Amino acid sequence: MSVPRVLSDRDDRSPALAPRAWLIWSIAAVTIALLTNNPVYRVLVALAAVNVLVAWLPPERNRKPLALGLAAAAILAALVNVLASHTGADVLFRLPVWVPLAGGPITLESLAYGGAMGMGLVAALLAVAPLSLVLEPHDVVDAMPNALERTGIAVATSMNLVSGIGRTFVSVRDAQQMRGWRPRGLRSWNEVLVPVVLTAIEDSVLLAEAMEARGFGAGRRTSYSMSSWTRWDAVVALSALAGALLFIGARVAGVAVDWYPYPTLALPPIQPLLVLGCLALALPAFRRD
Amino acid sequence: MTRARAVALGLAALTLGALASLAPAAPAVPMCAAAGAHHAAVVVEHGDGSVATRCVAFDASDVTGEQLLTQSGIAWSGQTFGGFGVAVCALDGEPARYLDCPGKDNYWAVFVSSGGGAWRLSNVGISSLTLRDGDAEGFRYVPAAGDPVAPASPAGVCPARVAATSGAASAVPPRVTASPGSLGSPSIEGSPSPDSTPSLSPSPSQTLARPSETPPTSTERIAVVAATATVAGPAGSDPSRTPPPSGPDTGLLAASVAGGGLAGLALLRLVVRRRRLR
Repeated sequence: MSVPRVLSDRDDRSPALAPRAWLIWSIAAVTIALLTNNPVYRVLVALAAVNVLVAWLPPERNRKPLALGLAAAAILAALVNVLASHTGADVLFRLPVWVPLAGGPITLESLAYGGAMGMGLVAALLAVAPLSLVLEPHDVVDAMPNALERTGIAVATSMNLVSGIGRTFVSVRDAQQMRGWRPRGLRSWNEVLVPVVLTAIEDSVLLAEAMEARGFGAGRRTSYSMSSWTRWDAVVALSALAGALLFIGARVAGVAVDWYPYPTLALPPIQPLLVLGCLALALPAFRRD
Repeated sequence: MTRARAVALGLAALTLGALASLAPAAPAVPMCAAAGAHHAAVVVEHGDGSVATRCVAFDASDVTGEQLLTQSGIAWSGQTFGGFGVAVCALDGEPARYLDCPGKDNYWAVFVSSGGGAWRLSNVGISSLTLRDGDAEGFRYVPAAGDPVAPASPAGVCPARVAATSGAASAVPPRVTASPGSLGSPSIEGSPSPDSTPSLSPSPSQTLARPSETPPTSTERIAVVAATATVAGPAGSDPSRTPPPSGPDTGLLAASVAGGGLAGLALLRLVVRRRRLR
C-alpha cells in the first residue's frame, strides 16, 4: 500500500534528499577521511562537505558552534603532534629539554603531520555534520537499517539525556547558590552532584514509562510521513559509495594513499582517480539550487 | 530495466573499472619473455661511506622496491607502517641491533632513480615503490637531523650490455630468496623459478664477467654478484647525489583544480546566500 507523502518542515527545500542517502553519504565521506592520512584527500573531502553544507544548511541554523568545534579540533591535533613529536629534518625552534614531553626540537615536519591529522578531524566532523544540522533526529532514526532501529533510538535517547543532565546541573547549582552554597573543594560538590544524579535517574524512568506507553518495543517503528527513495538519492548514494570503494580498493591494491612527511617534508603522492573519488562527494551540492 | 537500475549498474561498472585500473600491473610473465629481460640497480651506502651495489634482473614489467631489495640478496629487515608501506630498519648489517624503527639518531633513507636520472628521495615505503627496467633503488644510512644526502650514483651498476646478453646468460639463473624479517644470509636456490611469479635474479652479466672457465656454483654466482663494494667518494662531488625538487605531477594538478573549484564554488554559494538573506 502506498502511503501519501506528507509535507514536513524540510520539504519546502525540494528536492529533498532521503535520510538514508544522507547516511550513506556521511559514512562514505568519513570512510575516506579516516582511511588515508593524505592531507590533499582530506582537504578535498572537507571542501566537498562544505559545499554540501552551504547548499543544504537551513538559514536559521547556528553555524558558529560547528566552526568553533572544527577550529578547536584542528588546532589541538596539530599542537599535540608538534609538541609530542620531535623528529624531522627542518627544526623551527627548540624548547628547553626540561619541559615535560614538549622539550626538544620543534620541527616543520611534525607541524605538517599535525596539520594533516587536524584536517582529518575537520573532514570527519564536516562529513557527519549534515546528520545533525540538515536532518531532524527522527530522520536519522529512519535512516538506520531495520536491525539497528532500536539501537539507534536508544543511542539518540541517551544523547538527548546528556543535554538534559547539563540543564539539570545548571539549575541545581543555581538553586544551591541561592541557598548560600559555595564551591569549597571536591567534597562540597556532593551537594550539587547528588541531586543531579537523582534527577537524571527520575528523568530516565519517566522517559522509559512514556516510551512504553507509546508502544516502544511492541513492533516496528511507524512513521507519519514516509520518505521516498528517488533516482537522485540512488545516484548520490552510489557515487559516494563508489568514492569510498575507490579508496578501499586502492589500499587493498597497495597504491600509496598515505603521506609520511618524515624525515623531510615532501609533496604527498596523489592519484587523479582518488581525487575523482573525493569529488563524487560534492554531488549533493549540485541539486539543491 | 528501469532507468534507475541502469544508472546504478553503470555506476557499479564504473567503480569496478576504476578499481581495476588502480590495481598494480599484473606480474604475469609474457610467454615470449626470457628470464631476466629487465634490470634495476640497488645501491646501498653505509654510514661509514662504504657502498654495496647489485644489479637485479627480472622478467615482469615492474617490481616493487621490496621485491628488488629482497632479490638483491642483501640482508635486510623492515617494519610496515600502514599505508606508508615497509620502512627499512636494518640493511646489510647496519645497524646490528635496533630498538626504534626508523632509528632516532640514524635511519635508512630511500632514494629512487628513474631511467638513469638523478636520485629522488622517496617519501613512501619500499613496498609502495614501483621500479622498471633501468631504474635504481638507493639506500643511505643518514643522520636523523638534516637533509638526507643521496647515495652513490647508480651509473654503471647495470651495464648497457646486460640487456643484450641476458637472454642467453639467464639459462640457469640463481634464485635468491631472503626473508624480510631476518638479518641472516639469504637462502639460494640453483634452479630457475618454475612458477609464474616475477622471477628475479642477480644480473647474469655479472656471472659472464667472471674470468673462470668452469661454470660457478650457485654460491659462487651470488658471491660474484655481491662483490661490488667500493668506498664512496665525497658526497658533494657528484651532482646526482643531491635530491632535485620534485615537480608537480598530474595528481597534484588534478587535486589543485578540484580543490580550487570546490573552494570557489563554496565561496560563490556563500556570497549568493548572503545576498538572498539580505
